[in-house]
Amino acid sequence: MLAVPCPLLNRPNFPVLSSSPDRLLLELCSIRVPGRSAPRLDDVSLQLRPGERVALVGPSGAGKSTLLAVANGLIRPEAGELFWNGAAPARSRRRRRLQQALIGTLWQDLRLIEELTVQQNLNAARLARWGWPRALLNLMLPVETAANTEVLARVDLSADLLEQPVTALSGGQRQRLALARLLRQDPLLLLADEPLAHLDPRLARDLLDLLLKQASGGRALLLSLHRPDLLAGFDRVVALRQGRVVLDAAPSGLTGQQLAALYRSEA
Amino acid sequence: MTATSAWSWRSLRLAPPLLPLLPVLAWLPVLLVLPGLSHGGGWDLIGQFAWAAFNPSLDPLVLGSLLSGLGITVGIALLGWALSLALGLLGGVLSSRTVWRTLIGSALPAELIRRLLAVPRAMHELLWGLLLLQLLGLQPVVAVLAITIPYAALVARVVSDLLDALPTQGLEALRLAGAPAAPALLTALGPALQPGVISYGGYRLECALRSATLLGVFGLGGLGTDLRLTLQSLQFSELWSGLWILLLVMLALEALLRALRQRWAMPARFGLTRRSVGRGGREVALGLVLLLPLLVLVAAALGVSPLQLGQLQPLPPFTADWPAVAALPWLSLIGSTLGLTLLAAALAVGSAPLLLLLLAPWPWGRVLIQAVWALGRLWPPPLTALLLLFVLQPGVLTAALALAFHNLGILGRLLLEAEESAPMQAEEALVAAGAGPRLALLYGRFSALARSYLAYGAYRADVILRETVVVGLVGAAGLGSLLLESLSSFAIDQLIALVAVYVLLTLMGEDLSDRLRRRLLAA
Amino acid sequence: MFSLPLLRPRLPRPGFRLALLAGLALALTPAALPPQLQQVAPQLAGAQAQQKLLRISAIPDQKPETLNRLYPLVASELSRSLGVPVKYVPVTDYTAAVSAFRRGDLDLVWFGALTGVQARLQKPGAKVIAQRDIDASFQSFFIANTASGIKPIANQKGLSVLKGKRFTFGSESSTSGRLMPQYFLGQAGVRLSDFAGGAPGFSSSHDATIALVQSGAYQAGVVNEEVWQSNLSSGKTDPKKVIVIWRTPGYANYHWLAQPNLDQRFGKGFTTRLQSTFLNLRASNPKQAQILDLFGAKRFIPAPVSQYDSIEKVGREIGKIR
Repeated sequence: MLAVPCPLLNRPNFPVLSSSPDRLLLELCSIRVPGRSAPRLDDVSLQLRPGERVALVGPSGAGKSTLLAVANGLIRPEAGELFWNGAAPARSRRRRRLQQALIGTLWQDLRLIEELTVQQNLNAARLARWGWPRALLNLMLPVETAANTEVLARVDLSADLLEQPVTALSGGQRQRLALARLLRQDPLLLLADEPLAHLDPRLARDLLDLLLKQASGGRALLLSLHRPDLLAGFDRVVALRQGRVVLDAAPSGLTGQQLAALYRSEA
Repeated sequence: MTATSAWSWRSLRLAPPLLPLLPVLAWLPVLLVLPGLSHGGGWDLIGQFAWAAFNPSLDPLVLGSLLSGLGITVGIALLGWALSLALGLLGGVLSSRTVWRTLIGSALPAELIRRLLAVPRAMHELLWGLLLLQLLGLQPVVAVLAITIPYAALVARVVSDLLDALPTQGLEALRLAGAPAAPALLTALGPALQPGVISYGGYRLECALRSATLLGVFGLGGLGTDLRLTLQSLQFSELWSGLWILLLVMLALEALLRALRQRWAMPARFGLTRRSVGRGGREVALGLVLLLPLLVLVAAALGVSPLQLGQLQPLPPFTADWPAVAALPWLSLIGSTLGLTLLAAALAVGSAPLLLLLLAPWPWGRVLIQAVWALGRLWPPPLTALLLLFVLQPGVLTAALALAFHNLGILGRLLLEAEESAPMQAEEALVAAGAGPRLALLYGRFSALARSYLAYGAYRADVILRETVVVGLVGAAGLGSLLLESLSSFAIDQLIALVAVYVLLTLMGEDLSDRLRRRLLAA
Repeated sequence: MFSLPLLRPRLPRPGFRLALLAGLALALTPAALPPQLQQVAPQLAGAQAQQKLLRISAIPDQKPETLNRLYPLVASELSRSLGVPVKYVPVTDYTAAVSAFRRGDLDLVWFGALTGVQARLQKPGAKVIAQRDIDASFQSFFIANTASGIKPIANQKGLSVLKGKRFTFGSESSTSGRLMPQYFLGQAGVRLSDFAGGAPGFSSSHDATIALVQSGAYQAGVVNEEVWQSNLSSGKTDPKKVIVIWRTPGYANYHWLAQPNLDQRFGKGFTTRLQSTFLNLRASNPKQAQILDLFGAKRFIPAPVSQYDSIEKVGREIGKIR
């Protein structure tokens, strides 16, 4: 009901590395991803402008994770088109990597590399831009400590942790480290898959604020979440149900009834 | 740019993903020395050898003889494996601390039996074969026993380790409830032991096939003999017919064992494939029932019977000249044997992850390395050594390359399997953030694999030490070449001394690699 | 547990049935091949069970095809002349042949001088039956690849040109391919460690030595006269690529050696009849001519045991006999 037609524009066929206010950061056009019985995504279209903060809501199994996986390039849709910062996914491996570097994902299971130190994990976010020598050096010596100290400070973690193994961190610290790694990657498009799922209310609020703060200066945030009480800071709410977009509106315009309806099938 | 000034050697610490690659540095000196060792005399022979891979002989006579050789090799492997598994299970139970503690309240007999079993384990199956050849003559039972004896001791050790690592709460509960010792042991530990034994037992069958082939190379019958004779008479087409046949058999066996392992030994994941222990147990029992008549059939076809054991003969008469034996250059012999072991181990352990890293992202890369590794496993090291002699001078390096190639095949396959079963989320995250496929593999997956891979590498080094004897014919200076020479001279005194030194070295190597492994896995 | 953490494959299931089939077929391979196996395996089993079967063998000094052509002929000729079943048992290794003889698994073996001496020392009372006409004064030829630049030498001292060259013997226990050549090399001041790589190669057979030297894998080698001649006449050897550089002085070599107990097992006078069978092989009989031809001999002659004394001495000097 909310299908947004894809504008037929002349698009560059090379990755664009900086954002511009008149260019969409993410554009999904009639995306379809097949599933076992019903399609996981069916005719889904979505647009993100620079600076926008969009919450993705819907019951479990509605297709939120699939949509995020399409958005970060892990899943290739069966039909439909996808544009990052105005450009289609590049064919050449090198260009595609630069394009991927513009998309940062905060994973629900964090996906930190347990065997490496905090510093090495942070630097792993730079691998798209680094050559082999520096990538190997990172596994032997402290590399780019200043930049890492700075991102750790932004998520309220002490620089003393830099040389600690990830296994030594507490749950909350790990969550922050994952965010710090995302900041270190410095992407234009921030995707987050249920980052608040297992956090207590205070931690969840803190992390969300941090994330919302990042979506400024030409960046955009697409975040899936489960809790209607945290929608306040978002510019838009996109609701999915059975693989389809059923709502795309500002949170202020949402009534409690509408919200309840979104999550109803879970009961 | 930033912290450059803070770098110092003191802050140099190798992260886990680099550790498996570290041994690759052993290639640097090797590559430096290699040009000096190569004489290039036989490059056209190597070319003919490679060309013959695509032109195997299809002569029915050749194929017939190869197939009958294959029959003998597979038969020897099957019999040796089955016997060793049966004896090894028994020995494993007998050397388990838990069992003895439950039965008599002290683990002392277990410790004793463990020490005793170390000796048969320390001798390579080839040594057993050559020794038994002296005692029993040229009979198929020699090859079967040569596999059975060391394998049984190995299985016993693994089984007892498995047993002692099992949680004992169930056992204690049963004992407290008044159950007699033996049934309590069987009930509490039996089912828990099954997956480990099946998984390891299957792996031993793969090893048995390799060992049977190797024994053939040294004249104990089967396809190995054909491989050696055809290589030495430079009949490469016939050689490749044998190799292709053996490759097919090996891959089929590996696929079968993998499937059975998954079916019988793996816990069902996510409850998607609900399978009760009962069904697995029934299938295993059925398999055993089917196996028994097959083994009898194979034994009959091979002419292996326990009666042949009654025909023991003493060693040939010899005059022991111990001072002369003591005067052998032991230090340099042991030194070059250890050097050979370490070099071969480093090359094998380091090359597998390097090759995987370099070739895996390339679509055909995986297929290619799997093919190369299969060839390495298949191809007994003495034959690689003979082939290398066409272009390289004999010596420790040539022997090390031959051993390394074989063990690369074994290590590489395990690495690939581990890599396929390791969680890939971290790697996926790196790819999504734009890391290249190789760096993503290195950071994302090797990190998790590094320690268990190196621990296996340590175990492999200990196996390689035992295996140095099989490349004696090109080793030029090690214990192995002297051992083969003293065998052909019937210098029994020298032989005894050499075997004793080998046993001692392997026991020490086993201890060292055990410690290293424990440290790696504990960290 | 070292292997278990790594042995955790994750594969799709559809291959299971296929793998099961493949495995079953594989397991049945040995059982499915009894006809051929019967030829190979049981002949070795049980010395006692085979009182009336004469088992002959030979050290594997030539290509298996040559051996497999020659010795069944010998077996059938012996069987015809002696009236007992005779069977040829191939052996793949010189040392194994000696061991099998000691154990009584083989009744009559074509040994080289060194292996013959080893066998007689291990089986006192074993009888030397016969040798070929060429064996009383047998020669080894040192050969070289023409590209190596090694030229024919005038006398034994000249063997020192082989220092620093890639050199291969035949089998470790071969008289003509190792023992005597090593002895002559030693007299010329060439030790085994003087060869390139610090050690000589052991090609395992004379045919292999010729092929390896001709290919250039080794620059020089040593083979027995008989195999050299037959390779040359059959055209397998290319005289442009490999040449003889020196012929050794003559020494006693190959002979038939029989178990001491043949008379008890096969009846009085059996050993004598066996001996005369060999001595009476004549080129006038077409079948016997074929055997003599394959042996590269005109006829067989008696072999005095004393002629191996010098071999034994050399063997002890070099350490091949203890």
